[in-house]
Parts: sequence; C-alpha cells; structure tokens
Amino acid sequence: MKRIVLVLLMLFITGSVVFGDYREEFEKGFLTKTWSGEQPAENFCIECHSSDRMKPELLTIAEEWKASWHAQHKIACHDCHGGDPKDASLAMSPHRGFVGKPTPAEVPDFCGKCHLGIVKQYWDSGHGKAFRASGKGPHCITCHGSHNTQKAHIDIINEQLCSKCHSYDRARTMKQALFLTEKKITELEADLDRLKSEGVFVDDETKNLFSVQAEFRTLFHSIDVDLIKNRTDDFSAKISVVDGSIKNYFKELQYRRNFSAFILLIFAGLGTTLYLFTKTPKE
Amino acid sequence: MMNKMKNWLEVRIGLDELVTTFVTEQRVSKNINIFNTLGTVAFVGYMIQVISGIALVMYYIPHADHAFRSVQDIMTKVPYGWLFRQMHVVGSNLLIAAVLLHLATIFLMGNYKRPRELTWVGGVLMLIITLAFGLSGYLLPWTQLSYWATTVVTSVPTAFPVIGDFLTRLLRGGDYVSGITLSRFFALHVSILPPLFLILMVIHIALIRRIGLSGTPFGRSDDEKRPLTTYKKKTHPDGYPYYPYLFQKQALMVVGYFIVMFAIITFAPSFYFPEEATVPADPLKTPESIRPEWYLLAPYQMLKLIPNKFLGISLLIILMGVFIFWPFLDKQKEKNIFQRPVLRSVFIVIIITLLILTWWGKR
Repeated sequence: MKRIVLVLLMLFITGSVVFGDYREEFEKGFLTKTWSGEQPAENFCIECHSSDRMKPELLTIAEEWKASWHAQHKIACHDCHGGDPKDASLAMSPHRGFVGKPTPAEVPDFCGKCHLGIVKQYWDSGHGKAFRASGKGPHCITCHGSHNTQKAHIDIINEQLCSKCHSYDRARTMKQALFLTEKKITELEADLDRLKSEGVFVDDETKNLFSVQAEFRTLFHSIDVDLIKNRTDDFSAKISVVDGSIKNYFKELQYRRNFSAFILLIFAGLGTTLYLFTKTPKE
Repeated sequence: MMNKMKNWLEVRIGLDELVTTFVTEQRVSKNINIFNTLGTVAFVGYMIQVISGIALVMYYIPHADHAFRSVQDIMTKVPYGWLFRQMHVVGSNLLIAAVLLHLATIFLMGNYKRPRELTWVGGVLMLIITLAFGLSGYLLPWTQLSYWATTVVTSVPTAFPVIGDFLTRLLRGGDYVSGITLSRFFALHVSILPPLFLILMVIHIALIRRIGLSGTPFGRSDDEKRPLTTYKKKTHPDGYPYYPYLFQKQALMVVGYFIVMFAIITFAPSFYFPEEATVPADPLKTPESIRPEWYLLAPYQMLKLIPNKFLGISLLIILMGVFIFWPFLDKQKEKNIFQRPVLRSVFIVIIITLLILTWWGKR
C-alpha cells in the first residue's frame, strides 16, 4: 500500500512540475475571469467619449447613456447614430450610416426609426404639425432628453415642462384621462414582477401587457383628449384580459400554498404521533 | 377472501417468513441511535425522486427549443405538475444533504471498518452518482441558471493536460453547452445513471443484510478485535426488536424529511428558483452572478484558489480517492473517534474548510 501511495505521490509531483505552466482554455474560461457580468464587447464610441481627448461637453454622453433605459435594454450608440463601434476607422463613417448630432428637424425621424407608431402619432398631433410648419415646437428630446432617456412615465406630462410653451390646462385634462389606465398598467407590471419572483412563468402576460402599454403610449403623443377618452375603453378591455390572467395566477399560488401547508400539517401530526410512540417504554 | 389471497401469496413467496425474518424477529443493538436511520431516509429520498421524476418525464421535452417551455407548462398547466417539480427539486437538494450526513455519521461512528469496507466504497460511489444526478438534472430546465452553471462545471476537466479538452467536448458534445449537451445530460439522467445506481444500491443493501447492522456506534466490539478470516453475521440477540424500536425511529426521520421538504415548498417556494432560473437559457448573455450548485461550491472554490491548475485538479482527484478508499487506508482498530484525537482534528478541519470554501464560493 505504501508503495502505491509513494508512486502516486511521485506521479502527482512530477505532473505538477511538468504541467506547471498549463494555462490555455482553463484560465481563459474558468479561473482568471470571474463568471459574473457580461464580457463587454470592444466599443470605440464609449472608449473615445470616455477618453481625455474628447471635448468636455461630449465627455458625459457615455455615462448618461449607461444610466439610460436604452442601455438597460442593450440599445447601443450605433443603433441610433449608425457607424461601426467595433472598428475605430469606421466608427464615424457616413458609409456605415453614421449621423453624429441630428438637427432639430431630423430628431423625430431619428427616433422614429424604432418608435414607428409614436412618430406617426406625433406628426399627426398639434405638436408635430407646429414643428413641421415652423421648425419650432416640442420634439422627442424636449420631453424625453437625449442620452439619459428614462422609461416613459405619465409624470413626463407636468406643469413645469408644458408651461414652457403653453398653459397647462389642456395637458392636465389629458393627463387625467390617461391616469387611471396608466396606473393600472403600472400596478400590473408590479404584479408580474412579483409573480416572476415566485417562479411563475408569465412571458405571455408580460408580452401582452407590453404590447398594450406600447400602444397606449403612442396615444400620449396624439395630445388629442377626445381620442384618448374614446379609446380608453378599448385599452381597459385589453388590460382586463391580462389582469384576469394575473389574478388567476395569484389564486393558483394561494391554492398551492394552502395545499402544501395541508400536507405539511399531516406530516407534522404524523411526526408528533411517532415521536410520542418512540418515547413510550417498550417491553 | 383475504385469507385465501394471503395463503396464495404465502405458498408462493413465503410472506410470513419474510415478515418474521425482516421485521418481528430481527433484533438491533440497544445503543442504536437516530443516525442509523439516515440510510433509510436516503432510500426514501431516492424513491421520491424516482416517482416525481417519472411524473415529470411524461411532460418534459428534452430539446433546446422546447425544454424551458415544457418545464413552465409543467409548473402552470399540468395538474399538480408544480407539486411534482417542487418535490423533485427540493428533494434533490435534501437528498444530497441526507446522503452527505449519512456518510459523515458512518465516518464518525467508524462503521466503515472491516468487514464493511465495500459497503463504504459502494456508498461513496452512490454519492458520486447522486451528485452526477444533480449535475445532469440541473441543466434540464434549460434556464440561464442551469445553462451557465453547467458551463462552469463542464469547464473543470479542461484543467487536465492533453485529454482535458477532449473530456469537456465529450461532456458537452461540442465546444459549448448546446442542445447536444442537453440530450446527453437527459440520457445520463434518466437512462444511464439510474441502472448504475440501482446496481450499487442492491449491492449496498445486500452487504448490509449479509454483514448485519453495526452495533457499535462507539467503542470496539468482538468482531473488530479478531482477525477477520471467516464470515460471521453481526447479530444482536440481546438487542431490541427491529419493530417497533428502530422502525419507529426510521419512520420519524422519514416524516421529518417530508416535513422539511413541505416546509420549504410552502414557505419558500422560490428558494431554489432565483431570478436566473425563470429566464430561458441564452448562450450569448452571461448572467450577473453564476456559480455551480451548492454541493459543488467547495471543490469549485478550491480549484479557483490553487494557481497551478494541474495541481488543483490532481489534488481533488487524490482527495476523492482517499475518501473512497479510506477504510483500506485507516488501519487503526479503534472505532471511537473520540479516542482518536488526530483523526478527530482532521475531521473537524475538513468540515470547517468545506464550509468556508462553500461560503466563499457562494459570494
């Protein structure tokens, strides 16, 4: 036995010495890097906009974007501005569709590349028509900002912002018309998060609610109070379908909890009885 | 009618004799304790896994495009599918804990010593197969958690020079964890590991039946004092009858196992389902925090800490070898660990080290 142990030990020490520099895939993939966080792809936009060479007024862009709703959903610089972020020489190439800073007149269609429904509502709205006619008036950036764009919320409609151009009365009426539906959507989002945290798969409901929400948000941009009031019932009906489904999940979770608690009680009773039996003197 | 049936069975299988031999006339040592019931607890734990596993496999689809959805359907659409899945998931973790505890107590009580060396080796091999069950089953829901945990664990063999990459490719069926890995792990989980495990379990139980239940939780018995040259079954003529004495203890521990299981299912249903476990696998997106299952955290952390990878993996294999063949290496006749200060200290150091490594790996 001692000989076997000795031979194994020698083999082990020799192996460790011989393969002492063995690295390759193992280090690359497993040990030297932590298995946490996405490995960031090389991005020359971020690199330049964070470097000392950049003009001070453009230095904050990368940080603003990182804190944005776009960044959270992996919408990167080139998705809006074009160019090739992986190649420094083509990062700002017009041949790769690069547009640095769009002019105010270009802004709605710049954002509208992705937000198709919204840009249509906007151009048909009073805001859009005024902007098209005079080149003045609110566009996307006026309300949503540019790089630090946050998740759209009904409170973007507020007196401080709207009164920059006109009185708040009409906007207030519109906000009131939107309020209940928006509140319900926010509540359902919170409910879906709770269900997810309890391990319930609510992908279909999440998609449905997102779709209703996206459609509803396009309506914000019409700034047409009558249209909003007329369509509120449609949205309520759609939301109630999702709501019903969520309520059923909660009912089901409660049933599961009660059911497993019932089984737990049976076993607890059985356990107590058995414990008393084991304490009963034998023979 | 009942008597007729009983008689029919008696003629063919000797029911009365079975009951007499295994229940009423069998006697166990008077100093037997609840730790001697852990083997039975583990056995019941396996049965729960088998029954719940059969229920799950009826609805599960082992394909990368459908696996996640089929598991979600089991959780939401299949009647009581959630219960079977919860029992399977919670049960797998409890089972590994029970088996580890069983081995630790056998070690502490010195019950691996002759003539029970092979019972120990079989037990450790069963533990390894149980861990393989855990590892292969972990991938099947095809979630972000299962995908990346499997990626981490299947990276380990790459530490081997020359054959390391081959081993990893063999496990994964390619360079990365993919649909092929899922098929391989499914086959491993439901058709390769179960028969292997069953064979080992039959041998394990047959050896226990043949050699007899150890009656020496502490101290040395006559059997261990003499050189072992002839077979002699361990009996306890002065002991308590198996039924109800040990049977009640076993039943109590099994019920305790169920109580823990249903307490987790009732009060912490998402305990084993963190956020990543509810998101389908995405090979292009590494989650924020990913690590292997809790029972693999200690070796995982050990490998991370040792700078020489070959040394790390070799050390792991040597430790595993020492663990499996420990009864052949431990030549001391004393069974009572309290009379063996060196072994006792080593045991405590190992347990503390394992706990620290697990905690460290979890961070």
